[in-house]
Amino acid sequence: MRRKSILALVSIALLGCVAVGAAEPIRIGVMGPVTGAWASEGQDMVNVVQTLAAQINDAGGVNGRPIAIDIGDDAGDPRTATLAAQRLVSSGVVAVVGTYGSAIAEAAQGIYDDEGVVQIATGSTSIRLSEKGMPLFFRTCPRDDDQGKVMTTKVAEMGYAKIALLHDNSAYAKGLAEECKTLFEANGVDIVFYDAITAGDRDYTTSLVAMKTQNPDIIVFTGYYPEAAMLLRQKKDMGWDVAMIGGDATNNTALIEISGPVAAEGYMFISPPGPLDLTGPAAQSFMKTYQEKFNSVPTSVWSIMAGDAFLTIVEALKDIDDITSENIGEYLHNELEAFPGFTGEISYNEKGDRVGDVYRLYRVDAEGVFRLVP
Amino acid sequence: MEIFIQQLTNGLAVGGIYALIALGYTMVYGVLKLINFAHGDLFALGAYLGFTLLVSFGMGGAIGTGPALLVIAVMVMGMSALVGYLLERVAYRPLRKSDRLSAVVSALGASIFFQNAIMLIWGAQYHAYPAGIIPNITIQIAGQSVPLIRIFVLVCSVVVMLVLYLFINRTRMGMAIRASAIDQGAAKLMGIDVRRVISIVFMIGPALGGLAGVMVGIYYGQINFNMGQMYGLKAFTAAIIGGIGNIPGAMLGGLLLGLVEAFGAAYISLAWRDAITFAVLILILVVRPTGLLRERVAEKL
Amino acid sequence: MTAQQRKILAVIGIVIFFALPELGLGTYWIGVLNQVGIYAVLALSLNIILGHAGMFHMGHAAFFAVGAYATAILNTHYGVPIFATMPVAGFAAGLFALAVAAPIIHLRGDYLLMVTIGIVEIVRIALINDIFGLTGGANGIVGIQRPVLFGLRLTRPWQFFYLIWGFVAVSMFLFRWLEHSRFGRALKFIREDVVAAEGMGINTARCKLSAFVIGAVWAGFTGTIFATQMRTISPGSFSYWESVVLFMIVILGGRGSQRGVLVGSFLVIGLPELFRGLQSGRMLIFGAALVVMMIFRPQGLFPAPRRHYNLPEPYRDRYL
Repeated sequence: MRRKSILALVSIALLGCVAVGAAEPIRIGVMGPVTGAWASEGQDMVNVVQTLAAQINDAGGVNGRPIAIDIGDDAGDPRTATLAAQRLVSSGVVAVVGTYGSAIAEAAQGIYDDEGVVQIATGSTSIRLSEKGMPLFFRTCPRDDDQGKVMTTKVAEMGYAKIALLHDNSAYAKGLAEECKTLFEANGVDIVFYDAITAGDRDYTTSLVAMKTQNPDIIVFTGYYPEAAMLLRQKKDMGWDVAMIGGDATNNTALIEISGPVAAEGYMFISPPGPLDLTGPAAQSFMKTYQEKFNSVPTSVWSIMAGDAFLTIVEALKDIDDITSENIGEYLHNELEAFPGFTGEISYNEKGDRVGDVYRLYRVDAEGVFRLVP
Repeated sequence: MEIFIQQLTNGLAVGGIYALIALGYTMVYGVLKLINFAHGDLFALGAYLGFTLLVSFGMGGAIGTGPALLVIAVMVMGMSALVGYLLERVAYRPLRKSDRLSAVVSALGASIFFQNAIMLIWGAQYHAYPAGIIPNITIQIAGQSVPLIRIFVLVCSVVVMLVLYLFINRTRMGMAIRASAIDQGAAKLMGIDVRRVISIVFMIGPALGGLAGVMVGIYYGQINFNMGQMYGLKAFTAAIIGGIGNIPGAMLGGLLLGLVEAFGAAYISLAWRDAITFAVLILILVVRPTGLLRERVAEKL
Repeated sequence: MTAQQRKILAVIGIVIFFALPELGLGTYWIGVLNQVGIYAVLALSLNIILGHAGMFHMGHAAFFAVGAYATAILNTHYGVPIFATMPVAGFAAGLFALAVAAPIIHLRGDYLLMVTIGIVEIVRIALINDIFGLTGGANGIVGIQRPVLFGLRLTRPWQFFYLIWGFVAVSMFLFRWLEHSRFGRALKFIREDVVAAEGMGINTARCKLSAFVIGAVWAGFTGTIFATQMRTISPGSFSYWESVVLFMIVILGGRGSQRGVLVGSFLVIGLPELFRGLQSGRMLIFGAALVVMMIFRPQGLFPAPRRHYNLPEPYRDRYL
């Protein structure tokens, strides 16, 4: 009997503590490749979101409640991603920012959908992710078909007629290459070379030599920046001056470091605006804070997309009274209109895809700086 | 013809790098019967050490590019050798008497450790070697222009291999290494300090791997923390093709692997390149079950 | 502790383990246990090849992949129910193993190891290159259905927990029986001394090949469960590194020991999860932990106990 009353007292005291203590934080997850081959992207994502969350918490949180960030490392691997997703769900997050790779997002998607948690992908551009009718799936990055359209239009506008199309067999690059191939063929553009290189390799002389024999006007490479840089460099070494254009995965300042400005000059790519081209005052002041804190800038635009995803979630949290994933999803679908994000205005359509045209054409100048082509 | 010459020189340069790494596998295997799975990551470590040295000292300066490069290469080899020595002391020596596969798992653990240590120290992003270490000019071979750096890499690896070959065959220490590889017990009875031989081997192997790392950095200009896994696997393949434990075998296997890769990609398929390489490996082993140059180790019955 | 008491404790332990989802274990930890279970079955099947027959096989993910893709293709293209694809998956993996292993089965230790790595890489590259136009390339296959068991559609992690761990139990039971059969004893003989085994009239090549095929069939079955649990599979899940992980489980746990393999699965899959708090440093600690565990338990954590035979009284002195 006595024990019972003590127990009752303790529980009342505990309840009291919760009531008078700090308001319970709102938990938001970040899922990204913090280890593994894409660790640099994942670590940037985490840094961006944590910096933003700290700023919001310093300013008093959202409606008086602080935001707590949970990190789920997916290691760039589907199997680990399912565990990371389950762990985030178990820790009670209402929404998740991420992840980078499409195949990884796909593996985790089902879990968030089953458990009814909002997911905003930040670098997963595969078309089919948003074609499954999942009500709580969103993304701040564009889709591959958008990019394919912009790519083919730009190449055609510039008057290139013979195309060498190259991908790296990754889900993303191959998807984009197939998209481009279909569109080029529909437009009657001649594809003289179509093959894949192996990502992670360092030697692409083989592919370049094989391509050169087909004498293309331009090389369209849909893979990532390390390979693009090597292609540029080795192309230069061979003394072959053919134009080259790439996709948004090459929008990374490390490209210039690797290839050197001489080899990269004239290289073009289409991409959402990079971290250093963000024009809005909010973006510029954030980049300054970030630089002071980490002594570097995010290397790619995808981690900024993670920041945008996080900001739209916060925007939803500010407006809704009852914080549930359904309400956040509802708000993002219907209420959020032209939210001023770092990468431009953000709205989501009924599929959860970002609305609007975010792609720009860039060209590398003689100093190795990415210049927007107006 | 253009494809042929380009692929031939390219395959030989890449093959030379594979051979240097493969030597580390094969020498360790020779004396310990251990596949040192962490070797690929020591190679990556060498590339990063070279990167730090090149960036912090700058190139040329007072002593000129050539000597500076030589000094840096020697420093990287020394540091890699030290790490290799420590690795053997910490992770492998306690397992000398146990089942060989236990040491393999220890090696895999060390590999994971090194790879992530590199990531934590230098960061996960790609790093770029300073450009223009080797002048960017081409030379004419059989009417084709071939980058000088390609020839430089090939010559470097051949010179190092020659030196190693002479060391193994012409010096007392080399003889001790060969003796320990054939029969450790007998070597001990003949007064050879097998422990010391093992330490030496664990310094030479990583030193060569570290040098290969610097060469990859200079040749391709970019390095990343998990590059050791792919190069390690390729070099291990090369060592097996040549007959693991056999030093000339590793050299031959490396060059052959580089050529198979280059020609397979050029004449058959780019996307299937690695599959072709492994298929060739399997074919070679089906025909010659202990590699091209037979393993020197006496078969234990 | 007497044998009786140990048995009772073991039974209690097993009952508690299977009651875990009922005892309120969170979804995440059930998810972790499910993956441990999948790896445990794979490692148990690899244990036949690596632990019992002593063949250095570092390409087990290839057979796992064949099974998973067989299920995924049959289910998504032809609408075959998941459990109906399971025998096909096992058969396909076994047939594949028979075809690739026959020419290489005579290779010694490390040469076999390299060749099996080669096989798993060839399979992965073939899957990426969309072989036969069926594998979906690097994107893999999506939309694999959930399994239906006795009219019940399994969707929740705890339901998969019972499916997977039930399968683990069945596998352990069957493999234990196999281990003590004439065939299992022949395998051990081959591991210890090939020449002597040959001399005693054991057809070593055939025994080794059979071990390979049995292990592969089981990996194929596991592929079915993996495919339906993940609902989407892609070549990235069947890399050479996955084979290395399985290899580590068997050696770390103790070759030839079922208990060891089980504990190994918990450590190799579970530890990186436990270290999640360390963020990007977690794999560094995991690597170091592997080295330390091997140094302190070089024979594996739970090495297989040597088998004892009770000889009839009159012979005991003479042979022991």
